[in-house]
Amino acid sequence: MNALAMGRALLGRELHTAARTRSYYLLGLAIGGILLGLTLGGGGAATGYIPTVVDLLLPLELLVPVVAIAIGYRAIPSDLDRGELAMLDTYAVSPATYVGAVYLGRAVVLSAIIGGALLIVGLLVALTAAPDTGVFATHSGVDSPILFGRFLVVTLLFGYTLLAVVLAASVGVATTRTAIVGAIGAVVVVAVGGEAAILLGVLDGIFGETTLTAVLGLVPNSAYRGLVFETVVGVLSASASGYASPVVSVGGLFLWTVGSLGLTVGLLRWRSG
Amino acid sequence: MSDANTTDHTDTTDATDTTDHTDTTDHTDTTDATDTTAETAHASSDAARSPVLSTAGLTKTYENHSVFEGVDIDIAAGAMTAVIGPNGTGKTTLLKTLLGHIEPTAGSVSYNGPDVDRPMGYLPQEPAFRPQFTAAETIDFYASLVDSAVDTDALLAEVNLSDARDRRVAALSGGMRRLLAVAQAVVGDPPVVCCDEPASGLDPSMAQRVFGSLAGRADDGMAVIVTSHTLSLVETYADHVVILHDGGVAATGSPVGLCERFDAADLWDVYATVVEPTAADASPAPSADSGGES
Repeated sequence: MNALAMGRALLGRELHTAARTRSYYLLGLAIGGILLGLTLGGGGAATGYIPTVVDLLLPLELLVPVVAIAIGYRAIPSDLDRGELAMLDTYAVSPATYVGAVYLGRAVVLSAIIGGALLIVGLLVALTAAPDTGVFATHSGVDSPILFGRFLVVTLLFGYTLLAVVLAASVGVATTRTAIVGAIGAVVVVAVGGEAAILLGVLDGIFGETTLTAVLGLVPNSAYRGLVFETVVGVLSASASGYASPVVSVGGLFLWTVGSLGLTVGLLRWRSG
Repeated sequence: MSDANTTDHTDTTDATDTTDHTDTTDHTDTTDATDTTAETAHASSDAARSPVLSTAGLTKTYENHSVFEGVDIDIAAGAMTAVIGPNGTGKTTLLKTLLGHIEPTAGSVSYNGPDVDRPMGYLPQEPAFRPQFTAAETIDFYASLVDSAVDTDALLAEVNLSDARDRRVAALSGGMRRLLAVAQAVVGDPPVVCCDEPASGLDPSMAQRVFGSLAGRADDGMAVIVTSHTLSLVETYADHVVILHDGGVAATGSPVGLCERFDAADLWDVYATVVEPTAADASPAPSADSGGES
């Protein structure tokens, strides 16, 4: 049996598991409720998509990691603890195929939770915001659902990156019980630690204005924020752009994702002996 | 183990081997020549069988602690091989080394069976599955990982889980999960199946059923390797016994062959003589069972 067919079977297993996990539905409801509450409470919904994005940006920098940790930290350690990985090994399932399928499956769950909640928020804005937000294509300066769509896509990219980091951290620790600690620790180190390092670099004069734009793209949270500013908020005003390099930010998120998944595969090989 | 070995085992005195073996391939063996008694028993037991799995000088050491050293065993196709021994003698480690899940410190494991997509099945010591799946869905998932067609209902019936086919794994008892794991281990009919204490946690009749089922698989040509503490089941169903003790193979042979060699009433007697010689001298065997699996 080829790796693609095995990957498909494993992906189906992940989706089947997710579909029958009640806590994921509760998590989705909670995230949806929080985002709707923030949208309504912040008044952004009545004003337009961009004000809503501004209202939600900071909360999502916290909520996306929470969702990534919640759906990712147990995925692989549980299979290890149950002995299922040892059983799967007898079916010649490679660590790369397994990790890829688990990641894709959990990414679908993350998309459903975060993407679903943001779609509902977008629908709310469409129903309640000022009339000019219905413009789909124009030059800069006009709020649009397209901009909100970009925000959704960028937010999911941020989530996919953190999910990969969580998977790597969860395999690096010994058991399912300690996986939550490893996952939280890794996200805190990557997000908070990365930004703190940049801040110290700026204070110490290590990063100048030019290098800062690039360096910000190398830390997931900064890259996410930079992408939102450059591709969503900054579109309204030319003077608002230049915060970060979109190319470096996308590259940074990609490198974190691929690097973390590669690390996960390596750690799994090492743990499997 | 290898075709280069021309040792021809002609000893056929083993009366214990009642399985119908039609394979007359010469047994090729490289077992440590120092254990000639064990070797003879081993050879006679497996004279008509070809080894599908062989180890040569298999050694596993963790830091300064040696689990086993220089283990040479041949696992015959169409037979059940039971690995017994006190706790901590490396039975599970040996199984995992055979499976390739643990790298040996020295020595090698050779698989000489057919080239199939799943050469070895595995039943871990404490098996578990995703609780969201039903028993049938679990087997269906594992069946989707092999090329050959798998009859899920037949497999579940074999382990007496037909009535639980639509029950979620979370709702199965520990024993039922083990039965499900037994079914999983033979998905795709691998030439070798390694079962780590398959009867652990099962009631006596179910334990007997599991051993009977695995013995049936062996009769069909599968090489079944089990670790067990339930000596009565081993004595009844195993074609070949490997006793691990003191970091190596202390004795090996068919159950009756071992009883004859050690002048013992049953396998428990043999076990006590090999593992605890003083205990064997001092007291009669309490039963054929060493007290269940741990």
